Amino acid sequence: MHIRHVRNELLGALQTVVGVVERRQTLPILSNVFLEARDAELVVRATDLEIEMEVSTPVQNLKPGKVTAPARKLYDILRGLSEGAEVSFEIAEEGRMLVRSGKSRFTLATLGAEEFPSLAGIQADTQVTLTHKALRSLIERVSFAMAQQDVRYYLNGMLLHIGPQWVRAVATDGHRLAMSELALETGVKEDLQIILPRKAVLELARLLDGGDAEVTLSIGGGQIQVQLLNLRITSKLIDGRFPDYERVIPDSQDRRVLGQREKVRAALSRAAILSNEKFRGVRLQLEPDLLRIQTQNPEREEAEEEVEVELDGEPMEIGFNVTYLLDALDAMKTENFVLELRGPDASGLLFEAGESTHSKYVVMPMRL
Amino acid sequence: MSPNPPRKIIHLDMDAYYASVEQRDDPALRGRPVVVAWRGARSVVCAASYEARRYGVRSAMPAVRAERLCPEAVFVPPDFVRYRAVSRAVREILARHSELIEPLSLDEAYVDVSTNKLGLATATEVAQAMRAAIREELQLTASAGVAPNKFLAKIASDWRKPDGLFVIRPEQVERFLEPLPVARIPGVGKVMEQRLKELGISTVGELRQWPAAALLERFGRYGQRLHELARGIDEHPVQPDRPTQSISAEDTFATDVTLAETEDSLRRLAEKVWAASRRETRVARTVVLKLKTAQFQVLTRSQTGSTPPASCEALTATALALRERIEDHGQRYRLVGVGLSNFREPEELPQPGLF
Repeated sequence: MHIRHVRNELLGALQTVVGVVERRQTLPILSNVFLEARDAELVVRATDLEIEMEVSTPVQNLKPGKVTAPARKLYDILRGLSEGAEVSFEIAEEGRMLVRSGKSRFTLATLGAEEFPSLAGIQADTQVTLTHKALRSLIERVSFAMAQQDVRYYLNGMLLHIGPQWVRAVATDGHRLAMSELALETGVKEDLQIILPRKAVLELARLLDGGDAEVTLSIGGGQIQVQLLNLRITSKLIDGRFPDYERVIPDSQDRRVLGQREKVRAALSRAAILSNEKFRGVRLQLEPDLLRIQTQNPEREEAEEEVEVELDGEPMEIGFNVTYLLDALDAMKTENFVLELRGPDASGLLFEAGESTHSKYVVMPMRL
Repeated sequence: MSPNPPRKIIHLDMDAYYASVEQRDDPALRGRPVVVAWRGARSVVCAASYEARRYGVRSAMPAVRAERLCPEAVFVPPDFVRYRAVSRAVREILARHSELIEPLSLDEAYVDVSTNKLGLATATEVAQAMRAAIREELQLTASAGVAPNKFLAKIASDWRKPDGLFVIRPEQVERFLEPLPVARIPGVGKVMEQRLKELGISTVGELRQWPAAALLERFGRYGQRLHELARGIDEHPVQPDRPTQSISAEDTFATDVTLAETEDSLRRLAEKVWAASRRETRVARTVVLKLKTAQFQVLTRSQTGSTPPASCEALTATALALRERIEDHGQRYRLVGVGLSNFREPEELPQPGLF
């Protein structure tokens, strides 16, 4: 293998896939990146056995061939070279790749390309097409609620529930839940539920642009594959049963608070400073035209905020984890929001006021 | 009898610990009666050297009384930073033989040496090695008890104090316990001793005559424990780094107060204890109120609720309710304390789940 190209393009390709490479590897080859020069392209691929990312970039192909080289080191080298510099990768001898640019030379240890694991070869049973914008919106509105390293492994990801004319993204850590729904022109005949692992969700969120270009999700054999121009992401799906989310989204509540999102968000984040660091509790007192927000920490420091709101229903008091409220308000886009409540022991429902995107945020109360 | 091979437990107790550290570090104090106590009319003795004990000075007695008993005593304020450092050094010595160390306080610890790191033949040899190292490296003396369980090891360490070693072998347990006064059993205080005496029980041998059911009926769960201890049975393991057992705070008043006057103090203590308890990941199920009368009689009342106190207010309310259970004969009190104990994993988190 011998290729030549400008540093920025090569760096861009490495940058796209290097996030997948885990810092601590059980299998040495997984800290490497797969490189293959074929036709007028260089294919760059990285995997952690759960997710695989492959990007191709046009290069000057002097000699076809393939190899694997240390991902981080190669990335750091490219980053350190000057912008616009011309760089070449060349298999110099057995087990060595030479990286050259101007007066810089680096000899990297390589491992055989045949050993590099691959997830590819997906048998797609289902294909769903969305715009970049739509898929990105779904992820942005719910991904914050995904669990992290929860023993309930099926919560460490995002559910995509695809129906005949809609698609829903759902994430929950067991205490709060976020759901966002969009209309689909062509969905699937029978409802389909898949759970994308956390890492795949975060990579997708990073790589999707907000445009109207289409993106196709191919699903089958416990895997999902997403093709984005010259980039292909393949990920294993989480093999588990997502909780029945529809059951926990309350439908009719007897108290409705209408508030200005930014005002309430700011008041909550100020009050949060003096909440208990561990439990993050905040007390909400609802009065006809007023929301009173109170926090107190173990050092007996206290915060109190008052914000004007419209309350439809009886006054009440309820406790919440302030982080959950802030996350939900942050994920919204509208000027006003609605908080619906039934009682101090029942979950609260938040959503955007007068909006058509159908995102819902369910938050369990906290005993204070 | 226990199906497992007998365990080998050492209870190691430093002799007159704080006073000995003071005497070691200041040659002028050696051979003289030393009392470690804060200055102040109402302070109590933290530790007394053996020279001072000869005059009847004991730990926890008012410093004023100690002064009266032994006017020549040298009073030294406690220096816990130094005592803690020495404790760490002691612990390092113990750890050469076993990692299974359960410190009870700065000056005593249980060590399970059923197997020991250096491969010494007997637990007695291990205890001797520990005591020798403490003497040579730290110039302090310790007493040790060696026995098949914690209960007996603790009694044994006291048997040849100071600077002694006493071993209770499994086959000697019954003979050893037979004549022992019941007051030596942990948990048997003055009240329990009296109740047992009314049943004609004053020695462990006499206690052993009673069937478990009869003790259980009279003393509840503690009756079951008494029945076992009387037979030298104690399965409690040595627990390295044991988690918090209790959190408490006490106030000694500058002048004795009436029961009603304890309220301000009690509220403040409840707040202090509550704040400290919030640093625990577990929750306490038992609230304890402690009062000490002007005559040094200690009264405690406790409540174990089905749900732990959920707030500082709830804790305060419980403490005040417990105070109602003190029979007020118009006596005065010198100390009030509030405590939380019986820590458990929270069965219910403050944040309930969705599913």
